[in-house]
Amino acid sequence: MNPISASISDRHARFDALVLPHLDRLLAFAARRTNMRADAEDAVQEACGRAWLGLDELRDPTKVRAWLYRILRGVLSESEERSARRRQLVSITRLEEAHDELVSSDTDMVFEEVAARLTGEEVRAALGQLPDDFATVVELHDIDGFKYHEIAEIVGVPIGTVMSRISRGRRLLAGAVVASRTSSKELGFSSSQERRGGRRGGSGTTGGGGGIR
Amino acid sequence: MTDWTPLAPGSSEDPAERAARENQHQVLIDLLGAYADGELPPETTSQIDAHLVGCVRCRRELAVHRAMRRRLGFEPPVAAPPALRDRIVAAIAATPVPAQVTAPARSRFAGLWHPMVLGPIVAVLVATGLGAALLVRQPAVPATLSPLAAPAGTIPLLQDALSDYRRVVAGDLPGRARDLDAVRSAAPFPIEPLRVPSVRLLAAWTTELGQDPAVVLAYRWDDRIVLQYVVSEQRFFQHPALRQAVAGGGLLAAHDGEQGIVAWPTSSAGALLIADVPPERLRPLATAALLAGKVARGAP
Repeated sequence: MNPISASISDRHARFDALVLPHLDRLLAFAARRTNMRADAEDAVQEACGRAWLGLDELRDPTKVRAWLYRILRGVLSESEERSARRRQLVSITRLEEAHDELVSSDTDMVFEEVAARLTGEEVRAALGQLPDDFATVVELHDIDGFKYHEIAEIVGVPIGTVMSRISRGRRLLAGAVVASRTSSKELGFSSSQERRGGRRGGSGTTGGGGGIR
Repeated sequence: MTDWTPLAPGSSEDPAERAARENQHQVLIDLLGAYADGELPPETTSQIDAHLVGCVRCRRELAVHRAMRRRLGFEPPVAAPPALRDRIVAAIAATPVPAQVTAPARSRFAGLWHPMVLGPIVAVLVATGLGAALLVRQPAVPATLSPLAAPAGTIPLLQDALSDYRRVVAGDLPGRARDLDAVRSAAPFPIEPLRVPSVRLLAAWTTELGQDPAVVLAYRWDDRIVLQYVVSEQRFFQHPALRQAVAGGGLLAAHDGEQGIVAWPTSSAGALLIADVPPERLRPLATAALLAGKVARGAP
């Protein structure tokens, strides 16, 4: 094999070993930010294409996951810009009020139970109500397992900003859970299938039993 | 958030102490997430440990953090369908290998450029669809330069870019090349730096040109500085003279005083190169960028 062919072959092998194992996580991250599964898959494919072209920029293979997420975020951001898609956010004030009510009352033990019982759709719907800046850092840490310094690199903000966004993001998330359950009860919804909403078009459900008492 | 419980319930506390504790509470509440995640230095952790002893509200807040983190930690990954993996592998196979891979450093593989050796390699590359990458490395035909029909200073985008260029080159460069990824994630359009052997990226940063977002890439080209401005396609195509100049697929060429400008549309943005040289001198750099963009998009 001549040196050029070997070089190309090495590049394919490196790509297969470094990038392809992360497809599941990348797709999950994209799926929480797109209306359709097909859009999420397209974003992941585009991100992988860019990773292929920019593979030489990856000097430290141990940072490949953060590097891929950074590329994917760029793709998703462009795609959102092009489609002029705007998330349907719930008022932050409303989420903060719901959270304040939660921590001002004696319901912490109940909330832990509620949080533990949230369905995947409820989690996605609650995340969908947060501004993306907050949802992203919370997801990158809690779901994808990145450390704060890695999140700072992925998102391109100082680590102090990551700290405050995660703190506030989780507070808002808890507020979203409480608010959706409270409104479900007020509206008399009894099934988690009856109330749909959420950011990025996620058809998540919010509602159902086991609310904050 | 003023709902906190004094360290010793029922004890009388000086209003000043209470105010100080309240301030501390406001600061610490933003750190509770990092505290729950074990991301704080020991001294800050100790401070929060002490605060938690007397603050019911923060203890509840901490419980909320832990509950949400625990639940999110159970979110399963989405299984990527095999078809997606196949699509990606096929797309990669059809994507030209970047030039630096197909053209190894001359010192290492100098013998490859001998015609007897190069001929079969080119044949293989063409047969495998990789010949386009070599074209990127050595563009055979420079892109056409289309002189601007109006003075550069009368077109707002060029005026804004020139004014920014003059300001930047008169002072220190505001960024570093390693910030490119951060700039990429902040930019609302794709950013592809020039990949030309004699040009090295020095710095990248975001700015505004006439209140529109723009990215600036600063290169060293021999002993001079070249700035590349990337703007949205809306901004790029705003002025009819610009649209007209690039309509034929060529490069806009303009000059203003000592500065030469070449500009071209990219896949979903617009790029301008400015340096203290006539625009003709910038043509090889812009041609390489233009061809690289076409190859990346799969355009003929």
